[in-house]
Amino acid sequence: MTRAHPNAEIAIAPVQGWIQSVLAPIGPDLRGNSADATPEPADAGWMATLCLLVAVALLLVVAGHGAGRRGDAIAPLLFWSGAVLMVVPTSLRIAWPDVARSERLFLLLLLVEALFYFKTVYSPTGFAHHDEFLHWASAEDLATGHRLFLRNPLLPIAASYPALEIVTTAIANLTGLPLFAAATLLLAVLKGTLIAALFLFYESISGSARIAAIACLTYMGCSTFVMFESAFSYESLGFVLCMLILAVEAASKDLVGRPRLCALGLVALLLAGLAVTHHLTAAFAAVYLGMLAALEALRRDASLRLEARIAMGATAALAIMLPVLWVMASGNSFTGYVGPVVETGFRTLLGKVFGTGIPPSEHLGAPTQPIGMRLTTLLAILLLALGLATGFFRSLATTAPRALHQGWRPIQGILKRRWRDSRIVLLTLLACGFPISVAFRLTVNGWEIGNRMGTFVFIGVGLVVAVGIVHFWQDRMPRGWRRIAPSAALAVIVMGGVTASSLEPIRGPYKVAADAQSIEQMGIETSLWTKQWLGPGNRFTADRINRLLLAGYGRQDVRTKINEGVYAARAFRHESLGSDDFYALSKSKLDFLMVDLRLTTASPILGFYFEPWEPQQGVRLSAAELLKFNTVKGITRTYDNGYLIIYNVRGLHGEP
Amino acid sequence: MASPDKRDLLGACMWAGATVAAVAVSDSTLLRAVLGLPMALLISGHVVLRAIGVRTTSLSEHLAYSIGASLAVTIVGGFVLNAISALAPLGWAFWYLAVAIAARLLPARGNDVSPARAWLGPLRIQPWQAAAVALAMLVATGAYALAIHDQAADRQFRYTEFWMLPPAKGDPGQLVVGVHSAEAQAGTYDLEITLDGKPFAVFRSLTIAPGDTWVRKVSVPILATQQQAEARLYRPADNKLYRRVSALVPEAEAR
Repeated sequence: MTRAHPNAEIAIAPVQGWIQSVLAPIGPDLRGNSADATPEPADAGWMATLCLLVAVALLLVVAGHGAGRRGDAIAPLLFWSGAVLMVVPTSLRIAWPDVARSERLFLLLLLVEALFYFKTVYSPTGFAHHDEFLHWASAEDLATGHRLFLRNPLLPIAASYPALEIVTTAIANLTGLPLFAAATLLLAVLKGTLIAALFLFYESISGSARIAAIACLTYMGCSTFVMFESAFSYESLGFVLCMLILAVEAASKDLVGRPRLCALGLVALLLAGLAVTHHLTAAFAAVYLGMLAALEALRRDASLRLEARIAMGATAALAIMLPVLWVMASGNSFTGYVGPVVETGFRTLLGKVFGTGIPPSEHLGAPTQPIGMRLTTLLAILLLALGLATGFFRSLATTAPRALHQGWRPIQGILKRRWRDSRIVLLTLLACGFPISVAFRLTVNGWEIGNRMGTFVFIGVGLVVAVGIVHFWQDRMPRGWRRIAPSAALAVIVMGGVTASSLEPIRGPYKVAADAQSIEQMGIETSLWTKQWLGPGNRFTADRINRLLLAGYGRQDVRTKINEGVYAARAFRHESLGSDDFYALSKSKLDFLMVDLRLTTASPILGFYFEPWEPQQGVRLSAAELLKFNTVKGITRTYDNGYLIIYNVRGLHGEP
Repeated sequence: MASPDKRDLLGACMWAGATVAAVAVSDSTLLRAVLGLPMALLISGHVVLRAIGVRTTSLSEHLAYSIGASLAVTIVGGFVLNAISALAPLGWAFWYLAVAIAARLLPARGNDVSPARAWLGPLRIQPWQAAAVALAMLVATGAYALAIHDQAADRQFRYTEFWMLPPAKGDPGQLVVGVHSAEAQAGTYDLEITLDGKPFAVFRSLTIAPGDTWVRKVSVPILATQQQAEARLYRPADNKLYRRVSALVPEAEAR
């Protein structure tokens, strides 16, 4: 046989070579050795040294907060040197190629508990973050009322998901500890359990402790990991239950007969717990397990037993049915709660992409961080993108049939629905959500969606990046830069998780409408005054921060609305009380209004004083607007400390 | 096949019994925490794993699953105790005792923790390593204490609280007026009370030190019409109206 076009082939050859060299980094070839050759025991010397380093790092972090409180210029240096010392050496050791499994797991636990400590010392004796106050109020209600499903006007849907409050009050009741201490202990245990569950999950599906440890480190780069998932909030418990479900399900994949049934029993118990813990996480578990069952049904593999398919189908059915049944039984408005946030976020993102109309609040701009924090986050995102690019096809290739291991044949096999583990296929596809979550985070209105998405998307990102590192960056025998660079990149990714977790992580002076940065001693003592002198349970409204303090420390019945459909912001805006607002106030059941004159000193850091949807977002409040109640007949001024004033509006309803 | 060992379940029952006793008779937070925390977060889940018969292959896996099952058992307990109006300390203690006894009474399905992959393996610890870990714990605890101290010392705003409470329902002729100082140093104040704009009472040269509270009940006449009481706090040092509060005095009830 003769060749027809030898010249054409000669011309194409360099192009093919160039394409191959470009595709090689992202291609599906598995070069690395993911097997854990390092035997036990762990190196106790490293573990002890890193314990000491982390403790010194935490001391520096605390010193940074202290300096920040005093306004010392050295605060950022102390704080960030502590953060780097806490994260970098431990991350490097965890990601190092020759480390025993138990040492990796110990160091992961050390790092995750250090990050929790890092979050807690921001406010070591009380809650500081917005959502924490909402759940604290519910937990206090449960502890004092001894009943579930009590109304929470600040977060109405929380009454239908009382699991966090149940567990916290159970600990407080058994031990006699205050709620804050009980909650902190619970959260510390939850963080350790979360990282253990993540590790076991990744280890089950990848068969490698090294990949599992690197995937866990990558997960710590998620913007929600350090703060949001460590907060006293129902997601923190829900996500731990969710990861345990995924871990138990993955570990039971090779079980048959009674052991499989027993594992299903545990999954069912955890799913039932999750259904009453957190709506979004329960929805994610339902989607994950539903899609897993669907992928198993799609998969062309005669080796898959009918029993395994039935077990996966039953797990998916439970995961879908239990949350739906709970929503129906409790009558909560999950779609009404989540729907508007999702709708506005998507409308904003599509508006930005296609240049169509975007909500006015988008023009306010997001609050800014120091440049160093932004650069670290950006570098971490770039490294994650690099890890995803080099790990995506390799991750799929790890589950392709063993016979297909040359070139792109593993991917062709996957496209022909031939794979060994549907979990890996699903997680690899889930990782594709990462760029979408980043795009959402670039918008003001879609930030919330992008942030929440990250929690779930990073489960996939962790696996893909870990496979990319082990099978491409570290290669078979990691030496030289291949030993150091991937570990250093992982340390940057974890640091990115720290820098993306908070606007201003160093404790500093009071700032206007900035959530945790607005909570200080005077506001707390004023709320405590209301409990002591007015008694608990009075109907109050105020700005966003003082509402939290009044609900938490003051134990007041705090309202976001004056009347149905009339939000508090309306009463506080305008220099005179219009007849509509006067009518709304007089028809309301409110007892007191609290005004905070500090709000007039600066524009709100988060863009709003009262609600994210207030009509005059970004417009600075004036003292005349807040003090107009001085001259309204029927309103009296009960309390004044020069900054905070409490007005009694009972006179408008004919009461003293 | 040999019957699986149930000594751990017996131990769990005894632990739960001790927790019930501690909750019933002791106010010691330390004792109750030592008994209650493992019960709520670990032991109850372990007994459930044993009752269900879940296989685990390492200690880390068993601990993680036990904590997860404990959380689920506690959540279920919350609903059960709510249904029987027993969401109280003793209710919780008895719930965990009931779970432990139920697991003990169920037929055992084996303890499948494999010693081969125990968590830390055969770890050999040198004295300096133990000392380093102990020092690390000391430093971390000290740092937390320092954080608490810094928070307690952090007073960004200095202020004086001034208030006037309207007459309570059971005490119709009494206004309550109070001043509390959260200033850096003691201050001297004059306090004037008016009723419908007319002078009613005066308190001169009140010296209030930081942290001190001054409170008076002021008797006011109850008239046929509602009156407005106003209290003003002056700083004589600079002849300045410093704070102003007010309250309504309700009219006499018609007989």
